[in-house]
Amino acid sequence: MPRYELALILKAMQRPETAAALRRTVETLMERGAVVRDLENLGEKLLPYKITKHNERHSRGAYFLLDFYSSPEILPGFLNHLHRDVDVVRPTVLKKDAQAPSSTNCCGSAQ
Amino acid sequence: MFPVVGGRGGPAAARLLLAPRGAVLVAAVRGRKSRNDPVAKSKEGRVKVPPPVDPAEMVVLRERFSEYTMIMRALRLEFKEEVLRKKYEEETGSQAEERARQDAEEHRALMAWNNEENRRLLHIRTMRIQQETEEADRKKLEAAIKREQEQQEFIKEKEKEILQLQEEVKNFINLENLDQRIEEALDNPKNYNFAIDKGGRVVKQTMLQ
Repeated sequence: MPRYELALILKAMQRPETAAALRRTVETLMERGAVVRDLENLGEKLLPYKITKHNERHSRGAYFLLDFYSSPEILPGFLNHLHRDVDVVRPTVLKKDAQAPSSTNCCGSAQ
Repeated sequence: MFPVVGGRGGPAAARLLLAPRGAVLVAAVRGRKSRNDPVAKSKEGRVKVPPPVDPAEMVVLRERFSEYTMIMRALRLEFKEEVLRKKYEEETGSQAEERARQDAEEHRALMAWNNEENRRLLHIRTMRIQQETEEADRKKLEAAIKREQEQQEFIKEKEKEILQLQEEVKNFINLENLDQRIEEALDNPKNYNFAIDKGGRVVKQTMLQ
């Protein structure tokens, strides 16, 4: 199965609410038949620019990285669902490559 | 003045027709007068007279001419006879059989040589083809073996991957450890940022906002 990565930006909330949002997301994913591999927290950071979503202006966001295995057919529906979620500022699903790009074009000493 | 082509002149007409280009040919036609017109006044009593002949000269000329033609005819017949004799000798003379025999010999020798050559080349060809078929067979065998090996290796790779995945499955998130994992994640923020300088020194410790 192809392997995807969800780079999720959640609203800057209190801990229980953030936990609830994450739980919601993971459960939605599992309902649609995905296998969640790992969940990483990249911290609560200042957004690079102010984002307006669901009639709210955000300057800080909580960044999470969720990698999962799933069928590609569920992705549009899943993204739709995430866009509608009020706590989600920006969802991004990316495909995960098996290995790093083999020939990096930068010349110079590799250390 | 102009070369005139008579109505029915044979060789003379031919010669005049082949005359050089500068000479203009004029056909002898009755021109202005037709058949029944009277003769002109100035030509009334005209009697056409053949050119005068000197009898003595005539005799001498006749003599010489007949001698000349006789000699020419004799020469011609001589030459014809020589030609015919040569041809006859060519075909059925003494040399003809010899030459025919020699030709046959040569032909036989050449055919024999040709057959030898063909046989030799056939031999070489069969050897070459045999070698090529052997090569091809060997190559096919090698390719089959290689394919087998590659398949085996592929299977082994996949098995290794499967085992690795089975190991990793133990770390996946399911409904039971969902809460625990969420708490864990929220407790340990991970930072992927790093700094690097031109010397290639990497600094992984940066401040998380």
